[in-house]
Amino acid sequence: MLSNVKTKPVDVRTKTRADRILDVRNLRVSYQTGGGQVRAVNDVSFFLRPSERLGLVGESGSGKTTMALSLMRLLQSPAVIEGGQVLLDGVDLLSLSEEEMRRARLADIALIPQGAMNSLNPMLKVGEQLRDAVTAHMDSGGKTSREARIFDVLESVELSRNVVNAYPHELSGGMKQRVCIAMGILLKPKVIIADEPTSALDVVVQRQVMETLGRVQSELGASIILVGHDMGLMAQFVDRVGVMYGGKLVEVSPVREIFKDPLHPYTQLLIGSLPTLESKENFKGISGMTPSLLTPPTGCMFHPRCPQVLPHCQVEIPPLVEIKPDRWVACHLYNGS
Amino acid sequence: MQLLEAQSVTKVFGSGVLSKDRLVAVDEVSLTINEEKPSIISIAGESGSGKTTLARLLLGMIQPSDGNIRFRGKDLATMDRSERREFRRQVQAIFQDPFEVYNPFYRIDQVLTTPVRKFKLAGSKEEEQRLIEESLQLAGLRPNETLGRYPHQLSGGQRQRIMVARALLLNPRVILADEPVSMVDASLRATILESLMKLKRDLGISLIYITHDLTTAYQISKDIYILYRGSVAEVGSVEQVIKDPQHPYTKLLVNSIPLPDPDIRWGSQNDVDQAPLTSGLKSAHGHGCKFANRCPFVMAECHEKQPPLYRTHEDRAVACFLYKNEPSVGGREMAESLAA
Ligand SMILES: Nc1ncnc2c1ncn2[C@@H]1O[C@H](COP(=O)(O)OP(=O)(O)OP(=O)(O)O)[C@@H](O)[C@H]1O
Ligand SMILES: Nc1ncnc2c1ncn2[C@@H]1O[C@H](COP(=O)(O)OP(=O)(O)OP(=O)(O)O)[C@@H](O)[C@H]1O
Ligand SMILES: [Mg+2]
Ligand SMILES: [Mg+2]
Repeated sequence: MLSNVKTKPVDVRTKTRADRILDVRNLRVSYQTGGGQVRAVNDVSFFLRPSERLGLVGESGSGKTTMALSLMRLLQSPAVIEGGQVLLDGVDLLSLSEEEMRRARLADIALIPQGAMNSLNPMLKVGEQLRDAVTAHMDSGGKTSREARIFDVLESVELSRNVVNAYPHELSGGMKQRVCIAMGILLKPKVIIADEPTSALDVVVQRQVMETLGRVQSELGASIILVGHDMGLMAQFVDRVGVMYGGKLVEVSPVREIFKDPLHPYTQLLIGSLPTLESKENFKGISGMTPSLLTPPTGCMFHPRCPQVLPHCQVEIPPLVEIKPDRWVACHLYNGS
Repeated sequence: MQLLEAQSVTKVFGSGVLSKDRLVAVDEVSLTINEEKPSIISIAGESGSGKTTLARLLLGMIQPSDGNIRFRGKDLATMDRSERREFRRQVQAIFQDPFEVYNPFYRIDQVLTTPVRKFKLAGSKEEEQRLIEESLQLAGLRPNETLGRYPHQLSGGQRQRIMVARALLLNPRVILADEPVSMVDASLRATILESLMKLKRDLGISLIYITHDLTTAYQISKDIYILYRGSVAEVGSVEQVIKDPQHPYTKLLVNSIPLPDPDIRWGSQNDVDQAPLTSGLKSAHGHGCKFANRCPFVMAECHEKQPPLYRTHEDRAVACFLYKNEPSVGGREMAESLAA
């Protein structure tokens, strides 16, 4: 259905660029289901600069977690990576063998998964879980250097050494989340992907955990992709924000511009829907439904709900282009400007 | 008549013999919902402050160690089978963790058909299908792309919305929602909260909304309870508590809201010092105010006894000695007065 709709390729250079630690090009992932193909990540391109913090927001079900998992090559059947490249420091992760990818995980690119703190094994002490993670990935160095690394990471997430003897249920939510961060940084990755790392935490602990994550990141000189819904958190933490809608990336802009001058109509409505402490009972949800990823609309994914829709939005998929320095948007409103 | 009440409920976890293993998760908390005056009440407070435990008490899933829970005046502990069935129907829950409530081996349809059958909500297969589809749509889901799937085939926010749909299906008198929208985006959150508000307005369904998101708490609720380590630190209208917090803990909480404005730095408005990272490991507290060791305004008496609630306004009370010149008020009296 999509194949007879014209898409312009996104502006990608073929050469690796030193200012891009991660360069994702035309990534396409779908789930093969009985009802058909769910196009969860649909021709997505973006890049991450060294030491940069990129936020990834968007509707529930728009493909954020799928994308995060595909960057790690952690997707399971019936998910299929149908195409694209994930260049980490110039190396295409999608072309690595399983064994090479296993080494790259944690050492180069690490994921703190959605709901991570609930996925700690309740039967195992925290120390054993950390030990399992290092031994699985740190082949060099003996037992003592592994132990030392564990104490190092615990210190950097501000946990005392004796949490190694605690079971997950003995820890507070904030502490569990720190354990997950510690696991993620064990092998000093270059890129950390954190999928909703604080959505279950209160705002005070949230702030502390994000400060920890930020500090650890700058110590390592790593880059971060922060996936989430909390726009307040994004405003406070990231440098740039990517906005996903219906499996597509529709805008990537510096954080200040996302809030002050959003370009894509979806971003505009998303920012407009944020509740404030100024007025009560003032809900500005976006009318209409999330697009079907099984039978997606033709043309722009957002056109059925877009208040600024143009006639050819129904026909042509708008490519993601840089319309001003560092401002990328996929919308026909900006074509030709 | 009072629809649902917590009367000075306390929940202690742990075997009790060794006092160091005892954990007072909920400490003499009272809360009231008036049947004639449907209302939306928020409960906020740090992780581990007892919010979910209070919800489980209110749902009759666990028994209080002290105090009691009443539904239409009747203590849950003394209900017979048919009363209990009625209670189960009228008080519905939307749980916090969408990863835990699902059985991974059943299609999510089962989550919705089970209550329809258990409470005989539909006379025929077609009616069952229609009810289910309506409630899914209310929660912003496409029935034909949701039904038939297994839990792992849905995103986090989609799973959360199934729970919303399930609660809507039963058309209860009260919905207890524990972080119902923590994983959905802002616009959908607005849509879901708006539909919960409409339920109150049009159908008189009360809502107890447990959340870390104080902005949405302010948006939808009339009153808010701020819990700190199982006790009510501050309670009252959101207008009072969130716009003008009085308890030092509430101040810390309100000042920690990450504002969606990159030009206002997170926590920069704090007049309460950044809390020291208390170990967070469970620990028994002494006799004084539970917040004393983190409080920048701590006084000698704060270490000696727990402060009662002081009624600083008609519709607000604060458990803090800074306000000891105001009249003190019992938790139950305050809860009933807010519900009236
Ligand atoms: N195993 C699966 N089989 C079929 N469809 C799936 C599967 N897993 C996810 N999907 C679908 O893929 C789409 C993208 O899901 P994903 O979890 O990536 O969304 P998300 O943006 O992370 O959402 P949220 O913000 O709610 O976590 C959703 O529509 C979801 O229903
Ligand atoms: N079944 C149980 N046995 C022992 N302790 C428990 C049990 N359930 C809860 N607790 C403890 O009671 C305290 C309150 O927990 P509760 O889940 O009510 O907190 P909460 O306010 O809902 O936190 P969060 O915001 O993280 O969801 C915590 O210290 C928790 O560890
Ligand atoms: Mg997700
Ligand atoms: Mg809870």
